[in-house]
Amino acid sequence: MRSKIAKKILDTTPKDVEIFVRLYGDLVARIHEVLKAKGISQKSLAEGMNKKPSEISKWLNGEHNFTLRSIAKLEAELGEKLIQVPKQKTFDIVSSGQFTMTVHSSYKRPAFTEFKKVSVQPNTLPTKIA
Amino acid sequence: MNSFELEIWDNEASLCTFYTVRDEGAALNETDKFFEKHHAIEEYEEPTSMLLNFLLKTIGEDHGAQEYFFNRHENEVKGLPFQGKISLHDFCYYFPRFPLRLYAVRLRENIVILFNGGIKDGATNQTSRLHPQWIAACQYAQRIDQALIQKEIYIDEQSWEIKNSDQSNTIIL
Repeated sequence: MRSKIAKKILDTTPKDVEIFVRLYGDLVARIHEVLKAKGISQKSLAEGMNKKPSEISKWLNGEHNFTLRSIAKLEAELGEKLIQVPKQKTFDIVSSGQFTMTVHSSYKRPAFTEFKKVSVQPNTLPTKIA
Repeated sequence: MNSFELEIWDNEASLCTFYTVRDEGAALNETDKFFEKHHAIEEYEEPTSMLLNFLLKTIGEDHGAQEYFFNRHENEVKGLPFQGKISLHDFCYYFPRFPLRLYAVRLRENIVILFNGGIKDGATNQTSRLHPQWIAACQYAQRIDQALIQKEIYIDEQSWEIKNSDQSNTIIL
């Protein structure tokens, strides 16, 4: 079940608002993962960026959202990608006869999990764009 | 405080079950009151949508109820959304100067209880319009915590649900 009021608001939420919120959630989660995995503290992060912790705070002013520049600086210091822009590629699966697919998943509510076997027909494959 | 029902608010999200509370005889539960009221005010329509998407999409579908999303400590409850600065590194993350607060208790990565909230228009909860909702949320949270400690209710880890120890369906506290 889902609250009817929640459903109504979700249905009328502009798509860009949803994307914005989810992207930020992804970014926060990613930064936490990297900091935790690398054991990086605020102090060492600030030192690595040649800034005092208070300067970093001032730099982002505590009142602004992330900018591409601040994300780039964080990526450079952490040595890890924080966001990824997809590079679109077209594969000629027909001539090679095989392809590799990577499936990313997270732990989901078991009751709703269902796997289906799918087959791919050659005539439904995307064609290269000249 | 009067008795209230602890009821499921959302179990369609794949990573988390959300509960809410409903006062005895009330037409709406506390969380629906919050969203209905603030979404109807033009100034708060977008923040309300953002907060709802944060709950049902970011927590519910993308990441679960991670502790770092519950870092705004307000006595017995947490204020949502999470605060802009995280003590680990002082970077501004999100929701700076966010005008709304919704109070919640995180029981597990997959179980969250939501209460009511309001407009944060003062430096503290005591000086904001949401003060009564915050006090009420703390009282609900205390009663739920007490019920868990005294084993009136328990958390079913398999179904991600809160259940009565006597197996009756409706949880009245």
